[in-house]
Amino acid sequence: MTLGFSLDLVELASGIVLATAVLTLWRKDLRALISALRIQGIALAAVAAALAFYIGDAGIGFVAVVVFAVKGLVIPSLLARVVRTDPGSREADPLINVPASLVVASGLIVLSFLVAGQFTGLLSDPVTRLAPLGLATVLIGFFLLVTRRKAISQIVGLLLVDNGVALVAFVLTAGVPLLVELGVSLDVLLAVVVLQVLVAAMRVRFGHLDLDQLRELHD
Amino acid sequence: MVAYLTGLCAAVLASLLGLVLPPRWRVRGSGILSATACVFSMASAGEVLASGNSYSLHTSLLLPFTGADLALDPLSALFIATTAVVGFSVSLYTIAYAAHTPNNRALVATQPAFLATLLLVPAASSVATFMIAWELMALTSLIALLTEHRERPETRDAAQWYAAMTHAGAAFILLGLILLAARTGEQSFASIAASRPLLSMPIASAVFVLTFIGFASKAGAVPLHVWLPRAHPEAPSPISALMSGAMVSLGIYGILRVDETLLGGGKLWWWLLVVAMGVASALFGALHSSASADLKRLLAYSTVDNIGLVLIGVGAAGALLANGQRILASLALLAALYQLVNHSLFKGTLFLGAGAVQHATGTRDLDQLGGLAARMPLTTTLFAVAALAICAVPGLNGFASEWLLLQGLLHGFAAHPAVTQAAMLTGVAALALTGGLTATAFVKAIGTGFLGQPRTGAAESAREVAPSMVAGMAVLALGCVVLGILPGLVVPALDRAASAGLAGGAPNSLASGLGLDLTSLKSAIEPGQLAAGLLAVVTVAWGGLKLAQKRAGFYRPRRTEAWGCGRELQTPRMEITATSFAEPLQRVFADVLRPNHDLEVTHIAESQYFVEAITFHRSVDDAIERVAYRPVISAMSWWGRLARRVPNGSVHRYLAFGFVALVLVLAALT
Repeated sequence: MTLGFSLDLVELASGIVLATAVLTLWRKDLRALISALRIQGIALAAVAAALAFYIGDAGIGFVAVVVFAVKGLVIPSLLARVVRTDPGSREADPLINVPASLVVASGLIVLSFLVAGQFTGLLSDPVTRLAPLGLATVLIGFFLLVTRRKAISQIVGLLLVDNGVALVAFVLTAGVPLLVELGVSLDVLLAVVVLQVLVAAMRVRFGHLDLDQLRELHD
Repeated sequence: MVAYLTGLCAAVLASLLGLVLPPRWRVRGSGILSATACVFSMASAGEVLASGNSYSLHTSLLLPFTGADLALDPLSALFIATTAVVGFSVSLYTIAYAAHTPNNRALVATQPAFLATLLLVPAASSVATFMIAWELMALTSLIALLTEHRERPETRDAAQWYAAMTHAGAAFILLGLILLAARTGEQSFASIAASRPLLSMPIASAVFVLTFIGFASKAGAVPLHVWLPRAHPEAPSPISALMSGAMVSLGIYGILRVDETLLGGGKLWWWLLVVAMGVASALFGALHSSASADLKRLLAYSTVDNIGLVLIGVGAAGALLANGQRILASLALLAALYQLVNHSLFKGTLFLGAGAVQHATGTRDLDQLGGLAARMPLTTTLFAVAALAICAVPGLNGFASEWLLLQGLLHGFAAHPAVTQAAMLTGVAALALTGGLTATAFVKAIGTGFLGQPRTGAAESAREVAPSMVAGMAVLALGCVVLGILPGLVVPALDRAASAGLAGGAPNSLASGLGLDLTSLKSAIEPGQLAAGLLAVVTVAWGGLKLAQKRAGFYRPRRTEAWGCGRELQTPRMEITATSFAEPLQRVFADVLRPNHDLEVTHIAESQYFVEAITFHRSVDDAIERVAYRPVISAMSWWGRLARRVPNGSVHRYLAFGFVALVLVLAALT
């Protein structure tokens, strides 16, 4: 594998990360959401792996393995198990409908390219040009959190934010230390497990997973 | 200085002992140590007052970045000495008071802590040290206020008012001092005073206005007094005595220290403003105290009144100094400080006395008391001495200081701009009217509370309080008598404090002895002679009456109840009550007092012509609170209700707040 090819691979995989993020806004079927998340996790792992070749750092290669295991395999399958107990469930009526969401997403992507221009210029490495993709993923994830009603969509949104942060970290700092990535990944895994338990408890207690109907937070 | 620091440490230790000792040892151990702390502080402050020396101390151990600065000069020593005397009595008093209170740990632990902060504030000599001491005082006093009856809604209400007012005041002081420190580039009071020429007049005026608002709210000057008639009655009585006798005085200390010595006198209008607030406080406080039927509320309003008198003196001193009359300014300030010290003594006694009454009867409503003179003779005597002193009866300390104040104001009439003359005249008039109203208030308190027949079972079964409580009151009442008969004992010390409190270090006006020739109006300050004269007149009149009785033979004195008008069959229900005593006055001053009447007549079910019960309720509102504070409070709660609609419990809305904020920040970055 040449350097040029590995750079191309980083760019392609980063593009896939953003594309899957947009996909989560587009699809209403919760199973499709999980699939998008799985693809995103694998793409993120691919970014790390290609970066490991590009920089020549075995540590990042190991990070790639961890990312693949946690974000590509474990978390999506945990979420898929939750969805399987409630087949046919859809994000039927989001607070902002799909076409409008896609328009907003394009706005967010433009915004992140504008903002990222501030700091991508600091480094000459071609990889840093990819930072806006991660930032856009973060914003789209946040947008998903704000506009979707189902608990599963919310969890997906949270994971999008995390994946976006990871992508920014990879391309800007040429890979995070193994220890940090390990800590973050395990934290996210733990959060997903906790949320999974909460979702199950919600279903038992309220019979639905519609966050919009929960107003108990109001003092 | 060493004695002072020992005293401070002892007070802190007393507070810790109160916290950790088992109940049996707690009250005595903490009380005795706290009284010892006062003795040490008194010794140190007394040495400074007697010699006129100053001490200062800088340590970088206590506060990071700035270090703590402490200094003793005659002005701060005067306030420390007064606090120590009041604190000594209060510590003695608390021993018996707390022993009969269940769950007394909070009270026993916070009383010495509060005392320690009161001793600390006058010694603080840099902006950082002063603000920290000031905030500590606010916090400990707030906790102390809540140590008893914290479950009562009135007490909570009082604590909320007090917390809001005292922290708003502290914020103003902080702003003012920060402005001062920033403009002079200095932090310690001595260097600020030295680099005073760096200040432009508008900046100095801004500092004055900010700090004066803050200090006046602590002093309880109208219209910033609203916390005082709530907090003083609701606090445990030893704490009320400390608040009224020592804490409120520190507001005056702040005005003198910052606005007079640090800012160097300044403009004439500053001090005319002080006089105006003093006049308003004196009249408003005196009116309300004469209309109140709650003993401690009466005393609290009387504090507002006395602080008003002190402010008149302080303002007159500042105005005279701005006018260039140093000697007269020093005399006016001396009178104001004398009045302040006296106020600490008699108001301390009165609050402790009110506490004793509440302790013995369980109520402080004058309408439910009566006949305590026969049941609590010692308390009644001591309360009466202090009440006579506050009414400025010759022979007691209140007379000496009010006389001096009157002298200062009358001689200040020679000051130049007509507006100063008008201010002095208004001050004299306020002093006169206040004197009359104060007398009414305390005739009411003694007459309906202590004389006559008991109106309720609680008053009937009252017993004299424990010796240590009596001792606490007696120390302060003795001070009232001594300072009244022998003002010469303290006037040199007061003179040194007044000189230290005036900008530019005015010369000791009395340096050459006690005599001071005032040329424009001839008079002598001789309370001793006046007291002797009064005593002679009373003796001659009394002796003549006795002689006439003996000669005439037919005139035999007959003893009946007080308020009985000579009737033999006097029942408590026929007696005049505090409410009815104050009624004519309320009628005269209805525009200011705005009394609320509430008459409820219940008829029996069968006929309208027969009455089953009549209830009459009457209360007096604080007009300033209603006009100036209520609208602000309702506007705030309207705003709060409006803001509560924003967080409606929807998770999405909360997330949207974060999302929109993030996008806006990012958009601002581009």
